[in-house]
Formats: sequence, C-alpha cells, structure tokens
Amino acid sequence: MSDPAFVADASVVVEDVSVWFGQKVALSELACSFGPGVTGLLGPNGAGKSTLMRAMTGLIGVNTGRVQVDGRDPRTDRAVHRRIALVPEDEAVPAQLTARQLVRYVADLHGVADPDAADRALGSVDMLEAADRRLRGFSKGMRQRAKVAAALVTDPHVLVLDEPLNGADPVQRVRLTDLFRRLGAEGRTVVVSSHVLSEVERLADRVLVLIHGRLAAAGNHRAIRDAMDDRPRHVLIRADEQRRLAAALLDLDTVAGVSLSDAGLVVTTDRAGDLALAVAPVAHRLGVRLREVRPLDDSLESMFRELVR
Amino acid sequence: MTAPAPTAGAVYDRGYRPYEGPRGGRRAATAALFRTSLRRAIGLRRPWRQKVAPAVLLAIAAVPAVVNVGIGYLTRDSPAEGFSFFSYREYLGVSSALLLFVALVAPDIVCPDRRQRVLPLIFARPLTGADYALAKIGTIFTCVFAFAFLPQVVLYVGQMLVSDGALDYFTDNTDVLVKVPVAAAVLALFYAALGVAVASLTTRRIVAGASILGITLVSSTVSAILLGARRGQGPGDGDLAALVNLLALPLRVRDLIFLGRLHEESPLSGVAGGGALAIACYVAVVALCIGVVLARYRSVET
Amino acid sequence: MSSIVRARGLTKRYPGVTALDGVDLDLPAGRVGLVGANGAGKTTLFRLLLGLTRPDEGAVEVCGSSVADDPIGVRSQIGYMPEHDCLPLDQTAADVVATFGELGGLPVRVARQRASEVLDLVGLDEARFRPVGGFSTGMRQRAKLAQALVADPRLVLLDEPTAGLDPSGREEMLALVDRLGSFGIAVVLATHLLDDVARVCDHVVMLDAGRLVTDAPTTSLLHQTGTVTVDVGPGGAEALVGRLAARGLAVALDERAMAEVTVAGDADLDAIRDAVAELGLPLHRLTNRLTSLDEAFVHRADQA
Repeated sequence: MSDPAFVADASVVVEDVSVWFGQKVALSELACSFGPGVTGLLGPNGAGKSTLMRAMTGLIGVNTGRVQVDGRDPRTDRAVHRRIALVPEDEAVPAQLTARQLVRYVADLHGVADPDAADRALGSVDMLEAADRRLRGFSKGMRQRAKVAAALVTDPHVLVLDEPLNGADPVQRVRLTDLFRRLGAEGRTVVVSSHVLSEVERLADRVLVLIHGRLAAAGNHRAIRDAMDDRPRHVLIRADEQRRLAAALLDLDTVAGVSLSDAGLVVTTDRAGDLALAVAPVAHRLGVRLREVRPLDDSLESMFRELVR
Repeated sequence: MTAPAPTAGAVYDRGYRPYEGPRGGRRAATAALFRTSLRRAIGLRRPWRQKVAPAVLLAIAAVPAVVNVGIGYLTRDSPAEGFSFFSYREYLGVSSALLLFVALVAPDIVCPDRRQRVLPLIFARPLTGADYALAKIGTIFTCVFAFAFLPQVVLYVGQMLVSDGALDYFTDNTDVLVKVPVAAAVLALFYAALGVAVASLTTRRIVAGASILGITLVSSTVSAILLGARRGQGPGDGDLAALVNLLALPLRVRDLIFLGRLHEESPLSGVAGGGALAIACYVAVVALCIGVVLARYRSVET
Repeated sequence: MSSIVRARGLTKRYPGVTALDGVDLDLPAGRVGLVGANGAGKTTLFRLLLGLTRPDEGAVEVCGSSVADDPIGVRSQIGYMPEHDCLPLDQTAADVVATFGELGGLPVRVARQRASEVLDLVGLDEARFRPVGGFSTGMRQRAKLAQALVADPRLVLLDEPTAGLDPSGREEMLALVDRLGSFGIAVVLATHLLDDVARVCDHVVMLDAGRLVTDAPTTSLLHQTGTVTVDVGPGGAEALVGRLAARGLAVALDERAMAEVTVAGDADLDAIRDAVAELGLPLHRLTNRLTSLDEAFVHRADQA
C-alpha cells in the first residue's frame, strides 16, 4: 500500500526539504507530493504551512532537499513559474489600484495574451461589479477575492492558497468553495490551507497535517483517524430502549464502555469497524428501534484535535 | 486533645466573580487616564530608556538654578563681577529643555493610542472625547508645570539660604510666591495645548515631535524676518509681526505677570496696547489648540 | 425574558451607503450570533450600541437604558472586543487589563485584582507579565477578551473573536464564550463563521446590506428534512439501496456513496436497520439530515 503522503500523478514533489531561518527550523526533512484535485494543508500556527507554500511555489529557496513542479525547479525555471500561482494570506496589495487593474497587471506580468482573461478571472470570483473600485476601500474578504482573481488570470496549473476564505461572508464562502472544487475537478493541483476545518472537510478529499515543520499525518481524514488506533472512538447511538441495547452492546468484545446520557448512548470502542458491523444485527435481534448512529470523532476537527494533543 | 479529623470537603469555583462594588463614572475614568498617561510621560513602569529623557531634561532645566545659587553662595562675601544673576522672571520658561520635553512626551502619550488603534477600546469606556482631551492636556500641563516650577523652587530656597536673612528674604519677595506659579501655569497650559493638539493630528510620534519643534521655531524665525525687514523704521504697528512668534508668546505673558508690562526689549513694547494684544493672542492660540484636540476626539473610528 | 438589546427602526447612513436600514431587534440575553458580510452593518450596529455614533433614525436600548439618553451609562455595562489589534504593545497584559479596569470605573486595587482573575479565566498565565507586543494571535485574542470582561459587564460585544486562531485556539475561544453564558453575561458575537454560531449561539441575527434578514433561535433554523443519511461504507451502498427500494422506500445514492432515504415513519427506520443487518453491512452512520446554517443563510440571502 502506498504512502498517503504521496500521490501517483504528482505535479508538485517535495523531496526531503528542510528550511530554516536563522535558528528557527521551519521545515524539517519534509517529503510529500501534491497532485490534481484539492489538498488541504493543516497545522497549528507556526507549523510551517506558509513556509511550505512558499517553497512549493518557488518564492523561497530550500536549505536542503528539493522541490519539483512538473519535474522542474520552480525557483529558477521561468516556464513552470508561469503555471504556478500563490495567494498568500496577509500580503498587502497596492491600495490605489482597482481590482481590474491589479488583475490586468498580473496578467501582463506573466504575458497572458488573452484580453478577456482578466474579466473571466474576476467573474469567477463574483467581482465584476466591484472590479473598478480601488482596493483601498475593500473589506478583507473582497481583497482576498481580488487576490484569488489575480492568481487565476494566468490559468495556473498549480494553485496554492493560504486562508483564501478569510473574511468572506457565508455566501461567498460557499461560492469560493465551489470554485476551488471545480478547479480541482478540472485537473489542477489546488492546495488550500485553512484553520476552519469544517470547510476543509467540504473542500478537500485529501489532507496533509504539519506540526513543528514535520508531516504528522496525510491522506483521507477518516482513514487517518482510523490509523490512530491507540485512541478509542466514540459513537453516539439514539435508540428507543437505550438500556437494553446498552446491556447487549456491553457483551461485545469490541465495546470498551457505554455511557448513558440524555442525548443517547455513547459507546467507546477500539475497533470502530467491528462495532459498526455489530450494531444493526444486535438491535434487530432485540427488536430495538435505532434512530441515530453517529460517530462523534469522525470530523476533521476531531482528527486534528487528537493529532495535536 | 487534638481536633477530630474533618469529614467534609468542598470545591470552590474559581471561575468568575461578579463585581457588586462601587463604580466610578466619567470622573474616575478621566482620573485613571490621567494617571496612566502621567506614568508613561515620566517613565514610570517602563524600561530605563524612557526614564532617562525626562530625568535628563529636568536636570538640564534645574542646572542654572543650582549654578546660580552656588555662585551666589561662593561669592556671598565678595560680590562677583561680570556675573549677572538672573531673576525669577528671566529664568522661567527660558530653557529649551521644556520645548524638547513637550516635543518628546506629548506625541508619546497621544500618538500610540491612535496608531495602535487603542482609541476604540478607550471610548468604549464611560469616557467622552472631552474627558480624553482633558486627561492628556492635563498630563503635559502637570509635567511642564513641574519642570518650570521646581527649578524655581530650587532657586528660591537657594537664594533664601544664601541671603542675609531668610525671613527678610521671604517678606521681601512674597509677590514671587504668587507670580511664579501663575506664570508657570500659563507656560504649561500653552505648551500642553500646543503639544497635544499637534500630536493629535498624526499617528507618528516622530512627525508630531518634529512638527511641534518646527512650528515653534519656524514661527520664531518668520517673526524675526518680518521684524528685520522693518529695521531702521521707528516703532509702529508693523511690529505686530512679533505676535507671530509662538516661542515668545508665553514669555510675553510671563513678563506681563511679573512686570505688569512688556519688557522694554520686546518688539511689541512700542505698539500701543501691545500687552493686551499679546494676551489676546495667547488666549486665541490656546483656544484654537484645545478646539483642535476636541474635534479630533469627538468621533472615533471603531 | 427581557431583551438585552432593543432597537426600533434603526437607520444609519454614511455617504454613499446605508449601513443600517430600518432594523428592529429584540435580542434575548444569552448568546446571540450576528452574521453578515462586511458592510452588512455589524460594525455599525456595535458602534450604535456603544453610543459612539448616533442613528439617523430610530432608537436603541441596551440593558434597559436608552443609548441616546445615557451613552456613558450604557457603556459602563458593555465590554467590547474589537476585531482589529487594539492593545498597547509596550505594556504587559496585566497592566493593560488593569488599566482598562480602572478606565471602566473600578477602584485601583479592585481593577488589579479583577485583572488577575480575568487573565486566569482566559488562560494567560506567566505570559501576562510580558509585553503584549510579543504575543501570538491566540494570546492577543485572549488578552482582548480579558479587557472586555474586567469591569464585569452585563453584555459583551465580540467582533470575530476566532479570527486568525488555529483550530485548537478556536475551540478554546469558543469554549470561553460558551462559559460566559453560564456566568450570566450576555454575548453578541459578530462573525462570518456559521460554524461558530452553530456551536455557541442560541440565537441568530443575520444582516444583509443593512437589513435584517433573520432574527430567530438557532434551533428554529436547523430543521429536519425528513431524510435520513445512511453510511454503510463504499462497498455495500448499492446493495442497500437495492434492498430498500425493493421494500418500497424512496432512496438514492449521493455523491459520497451514502444512501439518502426518505423516511415517512418509524417503520421505515426499522426497515433500514433490518436491511443493514440482513446484508451484514457495517452501520457507520445513520443520521437525520438537518439543514445547516449555511444553507439557511444562503437560502435567505438569495430570497432577499
């Protein structure tokens, strides 16, 4: 079975990369790769996500190891540089430009020939109406969208985004999420870093978790959670005859404990898969009606919490 | 016989305690702001660097007094020649240390509140713009007053000790006891209003400090130029150009307090009603500055 | 329960934009989420509540007092946590919070004592004796919350309290906000993140372009859809769908290989249980599909 830190058809390969700034080691012998689709990049503050994103796009160099995008060095190779775009989190934009001017400027910088590219990019982030207003008057969310448009205008093959939904209102969040998913479905390599894990869950099928500059986990978050098998799982079961069901479940080897509450039974188990196989047959045998079965630590948030603990 | 072992235990919730006690209103809040600003101005509870400047400036301001008294003491038996002792009037407010202090400290207590966007937090308290202005101007006023007044105290006490009879010195100089504080207050108010007004216009301390120095010195230069153009002509209304000199303005009021008239060397002395004009000008400048400060803090961006 | 904030016809215009347009509010004393885009009027509303600006039309009352009549009195009952950085950087957290306590009218000694307690509450331990300038985002947010609480307010206004925090930081901040409710402090939480609202707030107010779009308890926005989602793993989904369809149930497969079953009554639930048991499939999940707040918001914003 292949290592989930790597993908088969990778466009960005990070080979044993270390980056340090003075005494601080930002990335430590990191090895992973990114391919088509949307990959989430997670980690606590200071874990090295921004550094990785900059190294991936060639904005900074690496002290050891190497980064390859489509087989070439993004730091030196101009051709591949044109196919990469990075939207950093907090960098200032020239306030006196309008959104359209910013996008056109970036397009010119990269030699984009198509005159409609700017408008298309602005349209994809719903910025056509506000395109001729100066960035100075924009809210945080609008500035972020303008930066995304500027990144999209070059039609990049690799798109790396740091907190792209920052400051966006709920409607925009949904639209941007759909946009990124679409871009990933088109075969682009989209890497998104965000602290709002419920959104990353909706956005990305694959996540990489960095902690202190090293890879802490990779792959599908449910699979990651399963891989943490030294930590017990909790499943909430709401049923019509809780105590009868609880007693029967306690008989099972896979069940480590059951607690009763108003919300339902919380079953603790070391082997979530085995419990899942047992629930329906036990309830069926007893004739107890099941109203809800819900893993309490199935989310990306709970996986992250366990990992960071 | 020992007490029986306790059988009861309790856990106390350290979480959150509501406050039922008395709360001050605007006055308490203004006083708190004043205290905090004053501490900051004189460098209390701050790293040593911030304490050095005020202390050095105070020392500079006080040195002439010490020298004056010292020489007076040393020459008490044989009068010194060629050394003119200065009067209280001459000593008050002359030191450029005062201007430097205001240019250093007024921006330091005013600009960071705006620059670091602390103002919305301050005005979310029971405090109005006018209270804020009062506290800040009050802080600079207090400092400048102290810097102007304390060296005078040194001078007075020194003179008293050096003179032939302390009690005689006291009775001969009771007017000084009134004039010095009043003149010091006049000076302090002027610098405080001007300093805080200029500082309130910008978020950058350096810009504010330079502007305070700039405005006063430039006005002084301009006034000198205008007056210089009139050299040779007799005293007349053209000497009103001297009013432009912001540096000299509080000193003129000081002269009026001490002497009851303008000093003969002042260019304004030849102008009819020069003294009244000086006072009017002083009031106008102070009022303008206070107006600027109030306007700046009336509506605050959240 | 009396309202902590009452507004009638609240309108505020700035050159070129109407920030609030005839807004009526009756916010219960609890944890209220205030949601909307930037420019939707959230910040303007906070400024109006604090008496920092006056409305062009309408009136607002906070904690029973009219803001127009007594803005100073109202402010002494409110704690405010702005979104932007707002703490003096060269002072220690302990000094800053104590000073703001004094500015709130507390006697000096009380201010220092309460500052210490409140810094305990928000979890700033030794860091409180270091200058704020060196704090991480999480620590700054906590210090900001501490200064909002130090004078024991009846209402706190929190503007994007989880901004910039990593997931653990967010959880801790939300847990703190949750606790505020149990201390009897009313909370109005302005945020873009509906997840924060769903987790912590019992009441939601949504603003869009200055107009009130929703003002309702959170639970009323999350309703049952009559559909049950069943996850039996990728392998068994199709078989389950086939078996349930054969029993006459309306069922479909969604994009994540989960079966969506329309459930008309309890008998249908039993049918699902039995089908899963008979097929020997693992029952990973059986949940009622609820609308999420996102859907509710987008739906209403589209309608407006």
